[in-house]
Amino acid sequence: MNPIFFDLALLGYLVATGLALAYLVQRGEAIHRLASLATLGGWVLHTLALVVRGVELGRPPLGTLVEAMSVVGWAAVLLTLGAERQYRVKVLSAFVLPLVCVSVVSTAWLPPGLSNLAPALRSAWISVHVILALLGISAFILNFAGAVMYLLQERQLKAKRPGAFYYRLPSLETLDRMTFRALTLGFPFLTLGILLGALWARTAWGSVFVFDPLALFSFLAWLVYAATLSGRTLAGWRGRRAAYFALLGFSALVLTLTAGLLLPGRHGS
Amino acid sequence: MAELFVAGLSHKTAPIAVREQLAVEEDKLREILLNVHAAGILPEVMILSTCNRVEVYGVADVPGEARALAFRHLAQQRGLDLPSLEPMLYTKSGTDAVHHCFRVAASLDSMILGEPQILGQVKEAFALAQSCQTVGPLLHRLLTQAFAVAKKVRTETELARHAVSVAYAAVELARKIFGSLDGKSILLIGAGKMGELAARHLVDQGAFPIFVANRTWSRAQEMARALAATAIPFEEWVESLATVDIVITSTGASEPIVRTVDVQRCLHARRLRPLFFIDIGVPRDVEPAVNELEPVFCYDIDDLRQVVESNIRERQREAQKAEALVEREVLRFSARAQDVEVVPTIVSLRERLEAIRRGEVEKALAGLPNADPQTRRALEAMSQSIVNKILHTPTVKLRESSRSGHGRGWTEMVQELFGLGRERDEK
Repeated sequence: MNPIFFDLALLGYLVATGLALAYLVQRGEAIHRLASLATLGGWVLHTLALVVRGVELGRPPLGTLVEAMSVVGWAAVLLTLGAERQYRVKVLSAFVLPLVCVSVVSTAWLPPGLSNLAPALRSAWISVHVILALLGISAFILNFAGAVMYLLQERQLKAKRPGAFYYRLPSLETLDRMTFRALTLGFPFLTLGILLGALWARTAWGSVFVFDPLALFSFLAWLVYAATLSGRTLAGWRGRRAAYFALLGFSALVLTLTAGLLLPGRHGS
Repeated sequence: MAELFVAGLSHKTAPIAVREQLAVEEDKLREILLNVHAAGILPEVMILSTCNRVEVYGVADVPGEARALAFRHLAQQRGLDLPSLEPMLYTKSGTDAVHHCFRVAASLDSMILGEPQILGQVKEAFALAQSCQTVGPLLHRLLTQAFAVAKKVRTETELARHAVSVAYAAVELARKIFGSLDGKSILLIGAGKMGELAARHLVDQGAFPIFVANRTWSRAQEMARALAATAIPFEEWVESLATVDIVITSTGASEPIVRTVDVQRCLHARRLRPLFFIDIGVPRDVEPAVNELEPVFCYDIDDLRQVVESNIRERQREAQKAEALVEREVLRFSARAQDVEVVPTIVSLRERLEAIRRGEVEKALAGLPNADPQTRRALEAMSQSIVNKILHTPTVKLRESSRSGHGRGWTEMVQELFGLGRERDEK
């Protein structure tokens, strides 16, 4: 990938992560403002990097999984900046940014993948499939971060010994609402993304059930999220149980991406 | 030379027995303030009198003399004599006085760090002094800045954020669980004072409706009236566990009345909505094991005290941040104060030169009756630029001198050189 902008964006994210963690430990409005600024700076550079990359390739930078990972990070940062304001959860970026850094760093270290796509993958439909899936995944990053924060805060409240997280994290109710919102945001995108992928598979390879590790794990993740969503809307699930399911769903997504990157399959690497 | 000072005693230097003797009500304070001011050695003065401190803020040539005067008046109220107070009195002047004033207003010098009353008390003292016309420019600047600093400390640190009383700690915990307390329902079992207080705080935050249960029906009705609540028969409180959000217990029962099995039974109907027990009874009214049920949180009086202790430690940590902030503000205030010291001289110097310039231009134009507008403009512009060029260096030097602490000598010299002093006196 074009090193300069991506490197600068990554630098911005790393600085922002450091500051966000410092805010978690130290608090202080000035630190938070700086962290937001660094995040925004990193995000703008990231946008620039993606645009330049797209112009160079002559297509959206979504052709390979490595490129896609970068876009997931990009979208997750955008969502985080929005959610921090909407839910007044200033510590959210401390939980999301490390994940973003991992996803962006991994794209820098992994082999860049094919820049000439297999003919079967050259289609606007493929881009739509990828974009939907990626937006879904970035929302699930927030879902995961919210669940982790919920579990930490709940532990503190149960233990009755207020520690750092008790003071820094928002109320259980806020965290639960945010986690649920991320789920309802991500689920339709993931569903449509998977559906389009399956339809594409039928057109390109003649069957919906082409063996592909990524497809398999992503379907698993979808099942977990579908179960959480129905539990939440129909059976009144919330709180700890919903948070555990968010962790489960996210592990399935991580497996999906790892499988896509490391195992041979139709999604290439 | 007159300077800012503060003199007084506080909970840190004087025992309550002395402080309560010195605390006086507003009318008396007004009288003392006027008397002290009338003595003529304090051109500006303000007296802060609370149960934790009695302090005189003022401007005087000799702070020690002013202090003796003010405290003689204060001590006379209750027949105390000044010498017995002397060992408890402190005096700070100049930058130290500014620092002290900011710390007091920001509640950093309070017995309970971050307690909110002190700022209001300082504001009242200031208002009183203003109404007595004993406030001048120096105190005005000092106090308005102190209010701004106090506000900054409040918003930028968490010095005053976390509860330091058991009842408030319970409210804070409820907010950590439920977020907003709007529309959260409360069940109050038993008639303990502390339980009622906690319920009141919750209601202040929007909790509603409230149910009251008591073994004595008349007592339940009485409390229901006091809290705008609904009394329910004591035998029926177990059923209401299925619907309420917060349960406060403070009964005199010797055995826990809220049993884990009862709570467990109601959980199915509640699904996973959180349920918060605030158990203020001693011995405890709620079986501790309910805390292990998934959506249930149960805090007894010791747990709440532990939260309060932890909150106090948190305030102490925040106090360090607040102290640093106050110190920065003191430096900024002093820097500006020094600028203020030379500004009048700069202004009158400029006025003096401007007057000369205008006079000379008029004179010159009088000798040129046929001058066209262009020539007039050229004359104006040239004379103005001469004045500006002459003034530039002295202005810069004066400002510099004030920052290095030599402002007074320089202003005196400039006033002498240009004969500015007389003019100012006339004004």
